[in-house]
Amino acid sequence: MEPLANGNSTVATATTASPTATSLPSLHAGVPSSKLSQLTDSLKLEHQFLRVPFEHYKKTIRANHRAVEKEVSAVMSGLSDAADLSQDDAVQHLNSLVSRLQGLKRKLEDGSRAEHLQAQRCRARLDHLESADADNISEWNNTRLKRILVDYMLRMSYYDTATKLAETSSIQDLVDIEIFYEAKKVIDALQNKEVAPALAWCAENKSRLKKAKSKFEFQLRLQEFIELVRSDNNVRAVMYARKYLAPWAATYMKELQKVFATLAFTSNTGCEIYKVLFEPKQWDYLMDQFKQEFCRLYGMTMEPLLNIYLQAGLSALKTPFCYEDDCTKEDPLSQESFRKLAMPLPFSKQHHSKLVCYITKDLMDTENPPLVLPNGYVYSTKALEEMATNNNGKITCPRTGLVYNYTEVTKAYIS
Amino acid sequence: MDLNNIKDAFDRVTKKQKVSSSKSQEVIEQMSQEIEQALSGIQSATNSTSPQPDHNLILTELKAKLKEIAPLGQLEGTQKELNLALSKYIKLLEKHFNPDISRSYRNVDFDLHTVNQIIASHFYREGMFDIGDCFVNEAHEESVVDRKTHFLEMYQILESMKSRDLGPALKWATTNHEKLQQSGSDIELKLHRLQFMEILQHGRRDEALKYARAYFSPFANQHLPEIQKLMACLLWAGKIESSPYSELLSPTHWAKLAHELAQQFCNLLGESYQSPLSITIAAGVQGLPTLLKLMNVMTGKKHEWQSMKQLPVPIDIDQEFQFHSIFVCPVSRDQASEENPPMLMSCGHVLCKQSITKLSKNNSTRPFKCPYCPTEVEVGQCRRLYF
Ligand SMILES: [Zn+2]
Ligand SMILES: [Zn+2]
Repeated sequence: MEPLANGNSTVATATTASPTATSLPSLHAGVPSSKLSQLTDSLKLEHQFLRVPFEHYKKTIRANHRAVEKEVSAVMSGLSDAADLSQDDAVQHLNSLVSRLQGLKRKLEDGSRAEHLQAQRCRARLDHLESADADNISEWNNTRLKRILVDYMLRMSYYDTATKLAETSSIQDLVDIEIFYEAKKVIDALQNKEVAPALAWCAENKSRLKKAKSKFEFQLRLQEFIELVRSDNNVRAVMYARKYLAPWAATYMKELQKVFATLAFTSNTGCEIYKVLFEPKQWDYLMDQFKQEFCRLYGMTMEPLLNIYLQAGLSALKTPFCYEDDCTKEDPLSQESFRKLAMPLPFSKQHHSKLVCYITKDLMDTENPPLVLPNGYVYSTKALEEMATNNNGKITCPRTGLVYNYTEVTKAYIS
Repeated sequence: MDLNNIKDAFDRVTKKQKVSSSKSQEVIEQMSQEIEQALSGIQSATNSTSPQPDHNLILTELKAKLKEIAPLGQLEGTQKELNLALSKYIKLLEKHFNPDISRSYRNVDFDLHTVNQIIASHFYREGMFDIGDCFVNEAHEESVVDRKTHFLEMYQILESMKSRDLGPALKWATTNHEKLQQSGSDIELKLHRLQFMEILQHGRRDEALKYARAYFSPFANQHLPEIQKLMACLLWAGKIESSPYSELLSPTHWAKLAHELAQQFCNLLGESYQSPLSITIAAGVQGLPTLLKLMNVMTGKKHEWQSMKQLPVPIDIDQEFQFHSIFVCPVSRDQASEENPPMLMSCGHVLCKQSITKLSKNNSTRPFKCPYCPTEVEVGQCRRLYF
């Protein structure tokens, strides 16, 4: 501490020594600002975390509203149809309208409950983000890893693991299991080569899929058509095409023509372009297509969060030294599996030297400057000083086994 | 992070949603009432003898009334406000957060099998055995189960230590005596010391002495002062709290030793102490914001990004993720490598080999001036460094 010119140095020292006691109470007293901005930056990555439950909430609100609109206008038109009825019929008709409205009321109450729960979930997520601060950061990071893993499990259809992990970690509100179960129904059906649930899903999300210019429904219809051709049901195939494919003709004429030509080739065609259409992997393709549409609709990334963070992390960690035999095992890239994943990714870049002491793993900087042994091996001052003190001034180079006197070391200046 | 305006926007949504849903209920209620009124009108017409309005007339009136309520028109207004609040909230999220964190994602397929094995290992090494088993079954990665047994032993030892039972820990240390000594660990002695103090603390002096005789002697050569200190504790058996050695009873010794044991255990297994998955994800969280910023200047160069061999910008991550020494030549800004190693000049400054060759104009005998101090340096005196 530099003495102050005004002679008030004792007071000044006292105040700087305990900044928290005298300065205004700050939420993050004592936390360096770089740490805080790092935290803020990491929280900004959490768009999906807030967006997905909100889309779910929005969807429920819309569905409830649609139910009201539909039922109310049904009652209204039911009423206008009711003319010239006998008295008994009129009573019966009105009674049916009343019970219809009662049914709607009950439905709406259920709907409100769902809305409420989903709003709560959205709020829980906001609270969770807000709770992250310097004091609980390691626990918070732990939870984040678990959230990322649950996301992975759900996208890969490992539902049991997802549920179990969420339950044992009590993070049900922080993950989207419920939403993915909606996808599960469709995926399971596609796996069994059934399109009905997928079509129902398309109908449910019609306006949004249309807005996104989604092709998915058309592709489902094509597949159904192909299946009819496969089973030699040509008459039905043509009828089906008239009803379900024709509406898409304007947009997808070319594909339509191509698929229509299958009628001429049948399923055991030798023609490559048409053979492909009959292959079972078309169903896998539909499944992938569905997953993409599903993620888009909910504002999710197309890739699992795990893959995104893994890629970024591997790039940040990847150095040419990682692929050498002496890469420390604390480095994930010392492991074959991680090296394999990192293979197609870029190496990290440094603009300034960052030297880590081989012995202590401490950073070698001006506080703990690097020292050079006569054999050219470099270690931190701290490490060599300690070794010299414990061994009567002798230094043993841990990588070569050569022994030197502490007096033989020289300083290296790294700029 | 300040989320207040986002929270406000969300409150607006829920408020509008409540207004909208109570409006719907109100309309339905109104409609039901009107219809029921009409119903009772018709029914009273049947029961009374006096001339009553015809039921068809009542129906017509009801139609007119309901049209007047114009239920859907009423709902429209609140619905519009709700929609506005909904889209405003979404816009706010997009503004305050990174709406697409996959923008810097390279289109490479991770091998599913490899990723799954990494995850399964992670569950086991973190002691989440049930979840690990569940995952291994669901993902059909049975081959990872081998790793479970190792970590199972470690967690059993740590579990016992939590209930102050050192038995399993000592058994493990004894079995691995040789290996632990080779790696320079004195954890075995530390475990015996803890056990010894545990006996002494309960005042069982004779037992403690017996224990010391049985187990301390192999360490006498290397740890004599330590053992002398422990033996002196015998004098205070049962009242160590008030002895000069009270510090040895601190419960922090248990926590510290558990930590050290986990470290040594992983070390003997040839594993890192921390889960490599946790480390990589944590590094990813720190690195991703920089990569996303980079994408802002890489728009239109998507292809270039996909094939880059090295990131064009440095990623600032914590020192805990720095596993290798990186030397960057202050003159050329190149990262040192096997072909272009760091060289120490006679003045103590360090440059990479290529820079030195350039500065000396390829003349190994003529001295050149160090770019960082006035010293004249000769190429022949420069030495290669190993960090
Ligand atoms: Zn490495
Ligand atoms: Zn110099």
